[in-house]
Amino acid sequence: MKDLMKDRIEQLVNYIMKNCLWQFHSRTWDRERQNEGIITKTMELLCEEPVKHETPEDRCYWVDAVCLADAFQSRYPWLAAMDKPAIKLLMQGLKDRVDYLTIKGSLNLELTDQHY
Amino acid sequence: MPYHEFECSTCIPERKKHAVVKGSGEDLTSALPLGYLNTIPGSISERGCAYCGAKHVIGTPMKDVIHISHGPVGCTYDTWQTKRYISDNDNFQLKYTYATDMKEKHVIFGAEKMLKQNIKEAFKAFSNIKRMTIYQTCASALIGDDINAVANEVMEEMPDVDIFVCNSPGFKGPSQSGGHHTINIAWMKDKVGQIEPNITSDYVINYVGEYNIQGDQEVMMDYFKRMGIQVLSTFTGNGSYDELRAMHRAHLNVLECARSAEYICNELRVRYGIPRLDIDGFGFEALSNSLRKIGLFFGIEDRAQKIIEEETARWKPELDWYKARLKGKKVCLWPGGSKLWHWAHAIHEEMGVDVISVYTKFGHQGDMEKGISRCEEGALAIDDPNELESVEAMLKLKPDVIFTGKRPGEVAKKIRVPYLNAHAYHNGPWKGYEGWVRFARDIYNAINSPIHKLSYLDISKDEIPTDKGFVTPRMISDINLSEDVTSSLKLRQYTGKYDSLADLRKKTYPSFERQSVDAA
Repeated sequence: MKDLMKDRIEQLVNYIMKNCLWQFHSRTWDRERQNEGIITKTMELLCEEPVKHETPEDRCYWVDAVCLADAFQSRYPWLAAMDKPAIKLLMQGLKDRVDYLTIKGSLNLELTDQHY
Repeated sequence: MPYHEFECSTCIPERKKHAVVKGSGEDLTSALPLGYLNTIPGSISERGCAYCGAKHVIGTPMKDVIHISHGPVGCTYDTWQTKRYISDNDNFQLKYTYATDMKEKHVIFGAEKMLKQNIKEAFKAFSNIKRMTIYQTCASALIGDDINAVANEVMEEMPDVDIFVCNSPGFKGPSQSGGHHTINIAWMKDKVGQIEPNITSDYVINYVGEYNIQGDQEVMMDYFKRMGIQVLSTFTGNGSYDELRAMHRAHLNVLECARSAEYICNELRVRYGIPRLDIDGFGFEALSNSLRKIGLFFGIEDRAQKIIEEETARWKPELDWYKARLKGKKVCLWPGGSKLWHWAHAIHEEMGVDVISVYTKFGHQGDMEKGISRCEEGALAIDDPNELESVEAMLKLKPDVIFTGKRPGEVAKKIRVPYLNAHAYHNGPWKGYEGWVRFARDIYNAINSPIHKLSYLDISKDEIPTDKGFVTPRMISDINLSEDVTSSLKLRQYTGKYDSLADLRKKTYPSFERQSVDAA
């Protein structure tokens, strides 16, 4: 079960890494904000929960989340068979993995620069 | 860490950490080269300097401006026309280049008087142009000329002109990327917010990090206009000086080349609350996603969807014609900074080629993160390569084609590797749906040109075949293709025009009724 979850997370990570740019903003604080904003909203869309998109910033995260949720649903049919708690668990695992690859485990020495 | 050490660079041990192989099971936490560091002494880099990055990448694409270098004439002349950032005002900014022609006597006695005289002469010679940018060079920086003071004096004397000064001398380094950073911040600090624009749409964007290489910007403008979006400014390809002073009034910054222009987007976000949306104008899927996102942001997704459907139906059969013939071809993707990640996945998925190596001359580690993520296992990633390393890599990897700049491209030709100009393009524009097919056509022609087979023959020792005369690219490319592909009625070669921009420039667009009236 654990391996299945891990495998599914890697499939989603692979899609993000190959197709998206939002996870690679140039500073740690930016990446934290981007990952949190977009992956959380994607989870809310996949779980059919209300998604905030009133402010320009939220709206920007939301458009990336809409495209990501659509891509996940069209490419990974196993997602449709998952219930909401399982999707939340999956998306938390996805966020942890993307955070690790782009922030916590990143070898990018510019991430901690205090200025843009 | 899967570092790759070049045989030719064993005498420069620091170089080892600048190249990695993306092996099986490797990810960004284990495979990432160093980047954006000073070039190591002894390694003959292919990079440009910080002056060139500021002036010739970011500043000069502005079309209605006299761009003048305060320094020796070689600084501007030797970097002039290295890119094909055309404009719709008869390429004014490309046709002329200006320098104050600083010499030894100016180094000793100062060059401010001479600079002032040059500024006035230039405005007099081009009396219809009222905007100017001035670029510091190593020489004028070292003698301490106060360019800003001179510019302010001239603006007081000539109230109808406006001058922007960029203090980014070549040594400011570590590469042209340092110049990108400097000019972004300087423009933000000195010019943004000075002009209030006329808002004509409910949907207003700045199109940032787009340089109109062979018309890329004009292609994307066509999509934006069809969606009823007002592009307040383009930073900076085909962009206007005064429009760029009004960037603060946009609702959204649409960012194409994050490497060269993310700084101004980030500052606009911090100072004016304008969000930043990163997009990809290259590749059918990436472009479609990009248009859709912009449409979603403004609540006009249907307009984006219409364009996506029309353009895909028109151009996909042509893209697929080339994909069938490019499948499995080996590519070294060796551009300057951003195209390694713009193209790596898209050319693999949509053209069928295998990216066996990526490199960046001036990119940061962030660019390598994107590039390495987007290429397949086994790819060799190199930061700031020197010429010997490039040659060693080509001899080892034996690519079918490389995409790189003019200087390394000519080196590639000498060892019989076809190259396409990744910076200035061959037969661009390459952005947009049609542009992507033009790119595929250029790749196809580069790989399958009969000249490459002939060039392998050495007339001093090889036997020259006399029984084979006429050869065409299709005789080379179609030899192992199935009948289904060669006689497909669905697939077809590029059918666009030689000049794909002429019709765009004459095109008229529907007007969309506004829902609100902007107070600004």
